[in-house]
Amino acid sequence: MRFFWQPALLAVAVSLAGCATTKKPAVALTGDIMVDAPNAIANGPTRDRVLWQYRLAAAAMRQGKFDLAKLNLDDALLTLGGIYGKDKDAKKSRSYFHTEAKKTFIGEPYERAMAYIYRGILYWMDGERDNARACFRSAEFEDSDTEQHEYAGDWVLPEHLDGLATAKLGGDGSDAFKRAQANAKGVKLPPGLPEANALFFVEFGPGPTKYATGQYGQELRFNTPASPVASAVLKVNSLQIPIAPTDDVGFQATTRGGRVMDHILGNKAVFKSATDTAGTVAMIGGFTTAAASHDRTAQEVGLGIALAGLATKIVSAATVPTADTRAWDNLPRYLSFASVPLPAGQHVVTLQFLNSAGQVQANLTKTITLNITTTDRDKVVFVSDTSVTPQTL
Amino acid sequence: MAALVAGCATSGVKNPSGVPVTHMNADEQGFVAGTGVESQDLVMVADKMSRSILGVPQIANAATPPTIVLNPVDNQTRFPINKDLFLTRIRYQLNSKARGKVVFLARNQMEELEKERNRKREGAVTASSDPSVQEFKGADYFLTGSLQGLSTRTKAGTSDYILYDFHLIDARTSAIVWEDAAELKKQGLEDAAYR
Repeated sequence: MRFFWQPALLAVAVSLAGCATTKKPAVALTGDIMVDAPNAIANGPTRDRVLWQYRLAAAAMRQGKFDLAKLNLDDALLTLGGIYGKDKDAKKSRSYFHTEAKKTFIGEPYERAMAYIYRGILYWMDGERDNARACFRSAEFEDSDTEQHEYAGDWVLPEHLDGLATAKLGGDGSDAFKRAQANAKGVKLPPGLPEANALFFVEFGPGPTKYATGQYGQELRFNTPASPVASAVLKVNSLQIPIAPTDDVGFQATTRGGRVMDHILGNKAVFKSATDTAGTVAMIGGFTTAAASHDRTAQEVGLGIALAGLATKIVSAATVPTADTRAWDNLPRYLSFASVPLPAGQHVVTLQFLNSAGQVQANLTKTITLNITTTDRDKVVFVSDTSVTPQTL
Repeated sequence: MAALVAGCATSGVKNPSGVPVTHMNADEQGFVAGTGVESQDLVMVADKMSRSILGVPQIANAATPPTIVLNPVDNQTRFPINKDLFLTRIRYQLNSKARGKVVFLARNQMEELEKERNRKREGAVTASSDPSVQEFKGADYFLTGSLQGLSTRTKAGTSDYILYDFHLIDARTSAIVWEDAAELKKQGLEDAAYR
């Protein structure tokens, strides 16, 4: 009997001795993204670095800290652009005994696209229209390989801004404008006016988050909460411009179709279930045989089968099919855009956010003072329903 | 048992001892690579263009070195880049390897240059020549270019083709007196965990 239990004890000891030093200690969260994100980037697991950089960039943009947003997006996009080829952590995340969240986070395609969209806005702010356009093209590219092809490359705003940047650079943006209009699903997009020098990027509502379903949490799902804001109104000088959503980030999250990783997680779940069942059967059968028999050899065989069943149960328990639910959780639900030609001088802009009944959500109203020094350069304004107010740009 | 436990202590940590700084030539592909514009592309393209420019008869046979102004490169790819790097490297190559064959004008410094000239004219600073004489040179040629891309993504991976096109424009006639191009195509496939 001792012969059978020694290896098992060794295996248990080794597994319990476990990799106590494999993980960095969890970073204590305060709830303030401007504190937590820099702390997590500096002291948290490397695999979560891009996730926190995304979150910090979005928060920084809403606080008008555009240099901080640039810094973090640039670093995140470097990671995103260099994921080709072998990756040990990614390989582990595919293995039976590691969770998917073991891999370096770069986000699902909608999250990657949003990183490029934000960076594109920041490039435009700096007067680099062609690099802004490059980002909008990359955003669309991230969405180009969907399982359901009708939803491939179907973002509206990146296409529209590609066309507008091209037109402003002296090129022909009409193809991109047409693609944007085709993606807009019946919503009439504003004309892309190259002479409009005040550009307003508007976002509102809470964006999608992730959760896992299935017996072992192997199925990745998205939750998009209802948005208290459905549209906006931009007021500047005597103009009043209604702003309807051009893109629904929740729609982008849920229409890409299945991932290759979903199949891998499905296989992990089947393996976990099958080994669990096999282990149970072997243990019951083995112990029953050992208990029912008076023959020493039969008892030992029975216990051997039970031990094999135990080992199989341990393998099953160690199998981790859980989907990666790390999410860029401060994304907006809706994106939109407006542009107007404004002469040089100071302009006070008011942006009101409306609910689905068309009522102004007064607590969300933003005021921005624009100082336009020249009409040769675009004044780019980024406004979220969670932006600080008032702002002077 | 002890060996197993000790071995486990750093398992799961990628490069637990770190990776020392690796010096690499700018024209070689490093172990960090994507499908976008990288240093080895920049070096290859800039070298090719600077060699090619020197073969242009208008430059090779010019009695006096022609003056050239660099105009911004138009990036039409999906990769945001510091596109000035291309022109900076072409200028550096021409200035260092073919000194005296061409003269580049610092148009990007015009504001500061005009301020300095005005200080000289006002007598606020000394001048080694008559500051009232216009000595800022005009361009004989404009050197500019564009980066154009074609990108594809399928289940088989990502493919990016980039055409680097540069041309020299005669400032007097608007004729394009020289044009050359380089093209690169890169493909890659990310781990299935990201697909």
